[in-house]
Amino acid sequence: MRLKVFLSVIVVVLGLAAGFYFFRPHTFHGTVIQSPERSFDFTLTGAQGDVSPSDFRGKIVLLYFGYTFCPDICPGTLGNVAQALRDMGAKADEVQLIMVSLDPERDTPEKLAEYMKHFHPSFIGVTGSKEQLDEVASLYGIFYQKTEGSSATGYLIDHTATLLVLDREGFLKMVFPFGVTAKEIADDLKYMLRQ
Amino acid sequence: MSKHYFNGIYAFAAFLVISAFAFKVIQPIQVLPRMRLSPAYNFIDQDNQPLTSETLRGQFALYSFTYTHCPEPCYNMTETIREIQARLGEVDLGGIPVSFVTISIDPDRDTPEVLRAYGESIDADFDHWKFATTTNKDLLKTVVGAGFETYYEDKGGGNITFDPGYVLVDGWGIIRSEYRYTTEVSDADRILRHLGVLAEEVRNSTGSSKLAYEAAHLFLCYAP
Repeated sequence: MRLKVFLSVIVVVLGLAAGFYFFRPHTFHGTVIQSPERSFDFTLTGAQGDVSPSDFRGKIVLLYFGYTFCPDICPGTLGNVAQALRDMGAKADEVQLIMVSLDPERDTPEKLAEYMKHFHPSFIGVTGSKEQLDEVASLYGIFYQKTEGSSATGYLIDHTATLLVLDREGFLKMVFPFGVTAKEIADDLKYMLRQ
Repeated sequence: MSKHYFNGIYAFAAFLVISAFAFKVIQPIQVLPRMRLSPAYNFIDQDNQPLTSETLRGQFALYSFTYTHCPEPCYNMTETIREIQARLGEVDLGGIPVSFVTISIDPDRDTPEVLRAYGESIDADFDHWKFATTTNKDLLKTVVGAGFETYYEDKGGGNITFDPGYVLVDGWGIIRSEYRYTTEVSDADRILRHLGVLAEEVRNSTGSSKLAYEAAHLFLCYAP
């Protein structure tokens, strides 16, 4: 009898442990934001015309701020997002990446389109006037400023390197830090798409 | 056998629901909401040096908004900031620095020299308390009005109407609390308590304790 009770307790404890393991909440790899307001909507220019995040309601929108002359940080992040989308298969159709160029002097919409397609065919690059970019970058917490570069690169632009995630309704849902991997991005996006 | 099996599932589901309910009611862990991103900026401080949002990464920053020509009696916000500064030792911040940033909404008159003189007149410790603004009025409006959601309007004749208050930003550049100015409740007590809550979350931002803190966010266990 005592053995039966003991075994029952063991089974219950193991069951609870297994339950907690399988039903544990998803741990996001970025910082989750609980904003009660939709994120700032803007309209900037892409190669195919005006682009706004709200054009993609119903999809998850990834916002990244960079520039085509960016030597290492931007290609690394864009490459990781592209790999994440490839890993997601058909689900990737429900995700749209928009890169806002912080270099309006050198990045034309056409040049941006050429640059973005090297990473993923769905990626969109947009730009605008300095005043527009100042506003958009500030309201998404993106600091940027011109700095001296080498004779080969010309000037560089220091900028906040986070990757922002807007949910299907246009609410800022998450901020990925610089260095997030393709697998981490794919894990979080797949989880969000299941919600 | 199948009856016991389903009973077990029901019991487990009930256990989860009761646990979640208990967590919400008892609130063993309290957090501050991650409200939205703090706006980025590149301003000039009282020493004519750049002060940027990036400079304050990794620190807690308490923002306030005013202008030095605010006619007396103006909102007594400097006293609150001085009190918080003096009482920071009461809070276990775990070595995380706290910066105070007062942004002037009157860039025409509040030059760096004027801001410095103002800071000196109220005995501000410039190592931890910066006074800043920008002559780019559009950007100032974007940062203060849209980013920090603090209303101000130039009424002409040197008068500026504004909605006084404080905004608390964490080291990741996320707005965690806003305090609209009031004379009835001590803002200093509340802000100091919130600084302690933030520091506690930073200390527990890795490993299994992170899960508990994320649950506190999920169940809206917000510190009063």
